[in-house]
Amino acid sequence: MASLFKDPAKISAYRDRRFNGTQEEFEQALLNSTTVYIGNMSFYTTEEQVYELFSRAGEIKKIIMGLDKNSKTPCGFCFVLYYSREDAEDAVKYISGTILDDRPIRVDFDWGFVEGRQWGRGRSGGQVRDEYRTDYDPGRGGYGKLVQKELEAQRQLVDYGAGSLGSFPPVMPPHYGKHGGGQGHGGSYRHGRDYHRKRHRDDDRYGRESSKRSSDHESRRTSDHDSRPEKNPRFRESGDSDDEEDDDRKRRP
Amino acid sequence: MSSWKSLLLRIGDKSSEYNSSSDLKDHIETCFGALRRELAHSSSEILPFLLQCAEQLPHKIPLYGTLIGLLNLEDEDFVKKIVEDTQNVFQDALGSGNCDRIRISMRFLTALMCSKVLQPASLVVVFETLLSSAAITVDEEKGNPSWQARADFYVICILSCLPWGGAELAEQVPEEIERVLVGIQAYLSIRRHTSDSGLSFFEDDESGGDIVEKDFLEDLWERIQVLSNNGWKVESVPRPHLSFEAQLVAGKSHEFGPISCPEQPEPPSTNSAVAYGKQKHDAELKYPQRIRRLNIFPASKTEDLQPIDRFVVEEYLLDVLLFFNGCRKECASFMVGLPVPFRYEYLMAETIFSQLLLLPHPPFKPIYYTLVIMDLCKALPGAFPAVVAGAVRALFDKIAGLDMECRTRLILWFSHHLSNFQFIWPWDEWAYVLDLPKWAPQRVFVQEVLEREVRLSYWDKIKQSIENASALEELLPPKGGPNFKYGRTDGQEKTEQEQAISADLSNKVKGRQSAREIILWIEENIYPIHGLEITLSVVIQTLLDIGSKSFTHLITVLERYGQVMAKLCSDQDKQVMLIAEVSSYWKNNAQMTAIAIDRMMGYRLISNLAIVRWVFSPENIEQFHISDCPWEVLRNAVSKTYNRITDLRKEISSLKKGVISAEEAASKAKADLEAAESKLTLLEGEPVLGENPAKLKHLKSVAEKAKEEEESMHDSLQAKEALLARALDENEVLFLSLYKNFSTVLMERLPDDATLQSLKSHGDSMAVDLEESPAMEVDDENGIPKKSQSNGGKATNIYNVGEKEQWCLSTLGYLKAFSRQYASEIWPHIEKLDAEVFTEDAHPLFRKAVYSGLRRLSNEL
Repeated sequence: MASLFKDPAKISAYRDRRFNGTQEEFEQALLNSTTVYIGNMSFYTTEEQVYELFSRAGEIKKIIMGLDKNSKTPCGFCFVLYYSREDAEDAVKYISGTILDDRPIRVDFDWGFVEGRQWGRGRSGGQVRDEYRTDYDPGRGGYGKLVQKELEAQRQLVDYGAGSLGSFPPVMPPHYGKHGGGQGHGGSYRHGRDYHRKRHRDDDRYGRESSKRSSDHESRRTSDHDSRPEKNPRFRESGDSDDEEDDDRKRRP
Repeated sequence: MSSWKSLLLRIGDKSSEYNSSSDLKDHIETCFGALRRELAHSSSEILPFLLQCAEQLPHKIPLYGTLIGLLNLEDEDFVKKIVEDTQNVFQDALGSGNCDRIRISMRFLTALMCSKVLQPASLVVVFETLLSSAAITVDEEKGNPSWQARADFYVICILSCLPWGGAELAEQVPEEIERVLVGIQAYLSIRRHTSDSGLSFFEDDESGGDIVEKDFLEDLWERIQVLSNNGWKVESVPRPHLSFEAQLVAGKSHEFGPISCPEQPEPPSTNSAVAYGKQKHDAELKYPQRIRRLNIFPASKTEDLQPIDRFVVEEYLLDVLLFFNGCRKECASFMVGLPVPFRYEYLMAETIFSQLLLLPHPPFKPIYYTLVIMDLCKALPGAFPAVVAGAVRALFDKIAGLDMECRTRLILWFSHHLSNFQFIWPWDEWAYVLDLPKWAPQRVFVQEVLEREVRLSYWDKIKQSIENASALEELLPPKGGPNFKYGRTDGQEKTEQEQAISADLSNKVKGRQSAREIILWIEENIYPIHGLEITLSVVIQTLLDIGSKSFTHLITVLERYGQVMAKLCSDQDKQVMLIAEVSSYWKNNAQMTAIAIDRMMGYRLISNLAIVRWVFSPENIEQFHISDCPWEVLRNAVSKTYNRITDLRKEISSLKKGVISAEEAASKAKADLEAAESKLTLLEGEPVLGENPAKLKHLKSVAEKAKEEEESMHDSLQAKEALLARALDENEVLFLSLYKNFSTVLMERLPDDATLQSLKSHGDSMAVDLEESPAMEVDDENGIPKKSQSNGGKATNIYNVGEKEQWCLSTLGYLKAFSRQYASEIWPHIEKLDAEVFTEDAHPLFRKAVYSGLRRLSNEL
């Protein structure tokens, strides 16, 4: 209804670089699409949670979870396909910016799901944004992949004594070059949802409560192999070419 | 944005455009200065933008009115154009029945009158035109009283102008306005009182006792009379034109041409109550009531307001909600920054809740109001959350009397709201519900809120969130895993063989065997040996188990092996067994039960009729008053059916447009061809040019193609129309089945002689404490007044409705909710339903619930 404060010409500030077509075609696709993209999700959020929330905007046709292309586990985004355009619009209007699983999620029009778009486009398998993050985000596998890598390298160099393998001070690594990432783990997806999910949830909660990065959660991280970066990372020279792209949803300037 | 635009937009707001000044006179002078400079070269831009602002920011209309009054001193033609455009918009809105536009245009005209752009007499003419149309409508002889909704709306519009211009009218044209008011009084005496018990939030509203609650128009009339006796003083309406009075009087008043109201719709040709009811339903759909007051807060929270201020603030809030749907930031900031000199948090909360719960449905999806409430909690963190909590407590106290549909919406809203605020709630306040019987509405409410919270989050998290009332854990849903009969862990001997079949099937699926192969395997090796029941159970359970990991897994299995299920469950009886199997497999997870059934209906593996039958099966009937689960499944089935019909209607309407343009294209191509042909004939006798036959040929093929296109459009339209006709027939069958089932189960359980009143005085277990219990708001046909007010004290929470009685109350409540929600789909089939279900033999309370949901006049009973 309100056209005074909204620029109707501006449907989305995002441009998917893998969209084959002109900017006009892209915008046209967004204007007609019944698909929405959901970002900034926790790795632990399930399809059923998404279903419960998004069905409040209308009848859902399909949900496609974004998966880490290596581990095949959720990596923090998904697509929801509606039957009607109006419902998709309402999802964007009413759900974007609200909380799902304690996180503010982003909901945008999407030009339409095609096979292949469910995979993370980051070098390490997840989303690109999780490559470079330097914050500790327990809902998204802890530190960003590159930071994990750096921490892992430190861990191998310094002997912290027995049983404290992971209890290095959680400081930002001073500098990191362009290394490939280790494979962080999110929730275990396709098997034993309830048991696994429950365990992960607990871990998750721990991480969140100690958001000040107390040693408490660090020691906990040690005991949980799942949230610790794996050893034997795949190294790449920084000059290596990679078809790594920007975040599929990177905000345009 | 050019600066004059932002000045127009932000006028009246405390904003940087106006150096955070809040003096309206300054605002108007600054804005006027800017507009005056621009008027010469951008008047064609200013005009539409100004009108748009006035329409979409109607709470600023007095400011825009004054601005236009000042512009009138500069450029009469510009303002003349504004008046003309407004007249056109207004006339179109009347013709098309665009309620919001009619209402806002009239307020705008009132403001123009205040700033001397319009003569008061012109406005009075508008009032009189609407009033006379209204009076004719409700006239039994000349009019069509079934359209009273429109007549009432017109009169409400007239009254709604008075807070904005009553003082000016009373001063300048006292006799005329008095005449209008007398006319309204006369109208009120002819019209019928609207007793829409079907739309009231609380059951006790419909008590037919001595105190007849005023309907919206009667209420507004009373507020206006107080206003009039008060010298037309309204705190909530700014009167900026007064500061400019000396200048404004010099302005030229413009003509406002006559307007006309649309003709009365023809009264039904047959003088039957059914035809009348159908028309009344249509009229109420087109001219819906904008708000119903919840009245959940104690009067002390709002009593210092004048009656009219409440109305004005509600108008402001509803307009912001209407025009800023989708603009979160602006919506919240306008909601909290209304131009009124008093606090209104309670009124704001009550208005939003009244929209969230509005029956039959709110103007927007409930999730919109959820968002607004969240945003206001963030915008006013010191004040609003407490008010929201107060509303929740008040509604919780009255929950037993709350309409069933409203309860469902409240549960969905509350769980969603809490999920955005870390699930923090003082649950210990409600721990006492555990001492209530399991069918007590408050207890069911808590249980359903927890269920929805778990769905939005996860079990352990919600368990943790109720730590301060850990006893409530008992009300948490089960932990939600599947209940697979043929899981490996429990190796009961009896099922070993079945387990083996299940494992075989599972391996076949893993081995990617096709549905065909599996069907053959079942038909040859399983069914003949084990019979229907075991085969069905093993196959369905195993497939469900394979699809149990997530929603997508389920869909994948249904897409790949749905045919196996369809083959096995070919008729309705077997489909009911299939649903029962789903419900057994997901017995610990209401969400997955509902989703699985819904998707199976989506893939047409089961029919809506099978779902209705399953919902009314004995084990579900027992749940009717203690769980939302069967109702959720039923709601999904009816809504899916409805969505299919809506989609078909949409497709048909766009095909119709396509047909028209195809027809046009075809006739144009034909005309072109004919023109070319006649041109050739003229050339006859002369040597024919080489390119002419080619051109002709081309035109011919274009014409043929256009004709083909037209025909194929016609064909697809016909095909869709046939589909729609079939869908509507199926809908009729669905509602017949739904109502028959309702009627039967209610007949079995309601005492024959029966009003709920008599039911209540029946035996100790159903003793009802009228003095103390808010849970007792049942139909009160004998007109005994009831105490329905409670203020949250524990003492008022005594609940002692018998189980059987509560079952009846809940079931009747859901029956009414279904009837109301789908009234538009039910009315077309009413003759058939009357003949087959709503008969004399049906229980009076059954018919009462249906009639009230359909808003059918109850004197037909």
